[in-house]
Amino acid sequence: MSFVIATTIDEAIAALAAGARPVAGGSDLVVGARHGKAPLPGDLVAIDRIEELRCLEFTDAGACIGAGVNHHTIEHHPVLSTVYTGISDGSALVGSPSTRNVGTLGGNVMNASPAMDTGAPLVVLGAEVELRSASGSRRVGLAELWTGPGRTSARPDELCVAIHVPAPAARSNSAYLRLEYRRSMEIAVVGAAASVTLADDGSVNAVRVALTAVAPTIIEVAGLGGGTVADVAAAAQAAAAEQARPISDVRASDAYRRHTVGVMARRAVEAAARRALGEPVSVPVNRAIGIGAAS
Amino acid sequence: MSPTTTAPRFVRADGPDKVTGSGRYTADLTLTGALVAKFKYAEVSHARITKLDVSAARAIPGVFAVLTQDDVPDVRFGPFVQDRTLFARDVVRFEGEILAAVAAVDVPTAQRALNAIVVEYAPLPVVNDIEAALSPDAPLVHADWSDYGAAGPIVRDRNDASMASIAKGDVDKGMAEADVVVHSRYVADGCHAAPIEPRAVLAQWEGNKVTIWTSTQVPFDARAGVCETLELPANRVRIIVPHLGGGFGGKCGFHYEAHVAALARATKRPVRLVFSRREEFVAPDRRREGIVFDLETGVRRDGTITARKVWLAIDNGAYTADAGFFSQLAAMHALGPYQVPHAFAEAHLVYTNHQPSGSVRAPTAPQTCWALESHTDEVAKAIGMDPVEFRLKNAVATGKEGPSGQVYDEIGLVDCIRAAADGAGYGQALPDDEAIGVAIGWWPSFSVPSGAYVKIDGDGSGQIITGAQECGTGAVMTLRQLVADELGMQAEDFELVYQDTSVAPYDMGATGSQTLFNNGRAAVAAAGQIAEQLKQLAAEQLEANPADIVLADGAASVAGTPSRSVPIAELAGIAAGGELLIGHGSGAPPAPPEVVGATCVGDVGMTAWVAPQFSCHAVRVKVDRDTGVARVLHVSAAHDSGTIINPVGATGQVEGAVLMGIGQALTEGTRYDDEAKQRNAALLEYKLQTCADAPPIDIHFVEIDTPNAGPRGAKGLAEAPNVATAAAISNAIAAIIGTPVRQLPMTAERVWSTVNGIEGSPA
Repeated sequence: MSFVIATTIDEAIAALAAGARPVAGGSDLVVGARHGKAPLPGDLVAIDRIEELRCLEFTDAGACIGAGVNHHTIEHHPVLSTVYTGISDGSALVGSPSTRNVGTLGGNVMNASPAMDTGAPLVVLGAEVELRSASGSRRVGLAELWTGPGRTSARPDELCVAIHVPAPAARSNSAYLRLEYRRSMEIAVVGAAASVTLADDGSVNAVRVALTAVAPTIIEVAGLGGGTVADVAAAAQAAAAEQARPISDVRASDAYRRHTVGVMARRAVEAAARRALGEPVSVPVNRAIGIGAAS
Repeated sequence: MSPTTTAPRFVRADGPDKVTGSGRYTADLTLTGALVAKFKYAEVSHARITKLDVSAARAIPGVFAVLTQDDVPDVRFGPFVQDRTLFARDVVRFEGEILAAVAAVDVPTAQRALNAIVVEYAPLPVVNDIEAALSPDAPLVHADWSDYGAAGPIVRDRNDASMASIAKGDVDKGMAEADVVVHSRYVADGCHAAPIEPRAVLAQWEGNKVTIWTSTQVPFDARAGVCETLELPANRVRIIVPHLGGGFGGKCGFHYEAHVAALARATKRPVRLVFSRREEFVAPDRRREGIVFDLETGVRRDGTITARKVWLAIDNGAYTADAGFFSQLAAMHALGPYQVPHAFAEAHLVYTNHQPSGSVRAPTAPQTCWALESHTDEVAKAIGMDPVEFRLKNAVATGKEGPSGQVYDEIGLVDCIRAAADGAGYGQALPDDEAIGVAIGWWPSFSVPSGAYVKIDGDGSGQIITGAQECGTGAVMTLRQLVADELGMQAEDFELVYQDTSVAPYDMGATGSQTLFNNGRAAVAAAGQIAEQLKQLAAEQLEANPADIVLADGAASVAGTPSRSVPIAELAGIAAGGELLIGHGSGAPPAPPEVVGATCVGDVGMTAWVAPQFSCHAVRVKVDRDTGVARVLHVSAAHDSGTIINPVGATGQVEGAVLMGIGQALTEGTRYDDEAKQRNAALLEYKLQTCADAPPIDIHFVEIDTPNAGPRGAKGLAEAPNVATAAAISNAIAAIIGTPVRQLPMTAERVWSTVNGIEGSPA
């Protein structure tokens, strides 16, 4: 049983190589242990004091979001919440204010829950995670990273140090929204993110849609093409409902999930398109357009 | 606010403790050498115990005791039906039933002991459905039910633990006189009180006396339970309640005080039990009961109700707890606060293999009001009448007779309907996905014995020593104001000594909205004795007649001559050298009203209500038809709870109850699997409302002079605001989507299924 507080990425990687598991905000690891999901690992390395993990850089290539950046920061960041807007939509919905202050993007991504709120927007924005170990760094796409609920392709000695998001094209934007039964301390019943790039005439040139909590991992909707916003939104709704593989559980039946994930996909496309046109749709979309009601 | 307001501000005596974190709750307490208690639960819903071997658990180092029913007096207990023992005896009847209790040096050791207990079962058929349980060939939850003791009026038969009926007039004749008869079926799922503080108990013996610190709402009831099950006299059991972290009825009754006391006696050590959230969901015999309703109302085209006939079956769960009076209470709520000339109600309290039901904030009322008021909107719709007009025409009013034959004296229901509707802007044009739903509700005041002492020491500072229990409502806190007003002093001049059964006289506890109603009377009576003493002392000092002395602003003065005055503190100093300033009070509880014209089976006194409380809630709701998500946009709540003594406390009660009502309406419901085990016994899956969900709530107190009520004409207020919210939300949803959602909670999926005509019982 050991607990190491790392202050540099190298220290953290060394601890991982020796068998420790990382803990940042603890909002998944500790809660999961208390609920008997998985016992708390015997050896832990705290990574919440590593300043390098909180880097936030924007270049022509895109954004580099340190794995230790918390949801509160992502929700309110002036660039993320206007250019990489879907990610901010997702972060803004996580837990409660206190959860958002301790929970990190790296933790959310590596926890690999199919219900995570930041996963679908990262997928539609083409994000990659940067995994680092003693033997070097590699970048992995999210579809390759997530292998099942709570499972990733990362090796135990690898630390997620950053999430790289390509710069969105001109006249494009993104949105994420979820079906929720209450406004705080909630988990997505289903959710959908869309990234939309518009042509000069306002029609959709390119669209990506990803779905939350309807499969063992976040999944991207296949086979979507361009067209008017209305047509693309309708196509996204139909394709999302068709491609979803939802389960029935205490939160919702499979039939209800299949229907509502389509609704979320349509609304995500519509909200992303409005943002791409320059209309203000505030973060998070759930409050801006209201799921069930205006805010 | 009301003109009768006496306190411009209200400082809760327990406020600074709770806000700063210096206050201590039961789980915060430690005693030297204390052991950890853990329970071994049945984990199955219905089975015969074929083997229960605790010897291996007892042999583990660090385990001080493992107790089963063999180790405690063999007592069956229960306030209405004596169907329960402390530990399972022969048969387990729900998943949270206790097989054994462990006291160990720490949590891991206690957990190892639980794992070492060997239990083997022979399965028994699981009773998982309320209506099926009533069929003649249903398996019995209690095979020996007829051997159990029960309170006199309780009528029982097999799985029916308490049957009640109310009959007035000739219901068939009344139906025949109707132009339209509307028939409806509704089903309410069970739900939970869900206090934020999971319960905790700490017990310590000194000689043959035991002190138990416990998170109960009813210290004297808890004491009585310990005395009964461990066969002890009342004066050797002391119950102390530190700050209580909410209860909502869930901490009423007698729970685990005896188990922990028995462990402490066996180990000769203090023993402490602290529940996990899951235990809080699964084990207590207090959760809101599921009910199946069959409702029928006959009505004339002019809107006159001619008859109402109701049948309902309540999920009692595996044991009866305090639910024995629920059948008749639910029957009254199903008939409702209406003028019904011909009425018949039949209600059953049905054993199942679910967690036992018990009093949660206005037991049976929110879900029965939901069913009846949803039905009432169907009736109004059937004759093309506006639902508010329909209620104004038929609601009980001053001098009118209710469904059980009680004729009401001064009541304010009609005023409540008008105030709530006006406050909601009823009748305004709204978007087609919004509507305002209206519902009316009622609730009795409970007139019971209660006691308090007041003393003023030589420096003029006072103490109120009361048996009443503060569970967060502010009712006990308000006693300071009542006593201070009586003595011409300030609320801050008094400290409260409360929640200790060995110090204060009896009070029923934080239950039945009764604290201010009854203990307020007691405290005022106690203060009145001191007032008389002070007037006597002042008369001697001021050379005046005691009858001419006025107590105000901290002084005693001669009426009409304020310059002839002496400070109360000075009088207290004089008294400290002679006859002490000590008052004790109880006062006569208001007598119950008469009922004429109705006949009742299983009558437990629920058909005639002293100082009945009335309410109307008008709620604006928006429904997202594509997802079925309903959101409450605004609540207008009007209440006749008599005189409002503490407006700040009263407002808090209504706001909290409305939020609880929204949860019960939309998101809070227990889901059972095929084995009658709870599927959502956790706060992520059992969805309480959060602050972020709270709508604006406008509150209107309809204050009228109420004869035969509590102090200054006050009625209760803790439960009444929880009654009508879900019903009003239901009527708004029905107005938007065109048809009511017939199962409570009206979850998003159920709303969506109703919109799309999907049959079945979705999440």
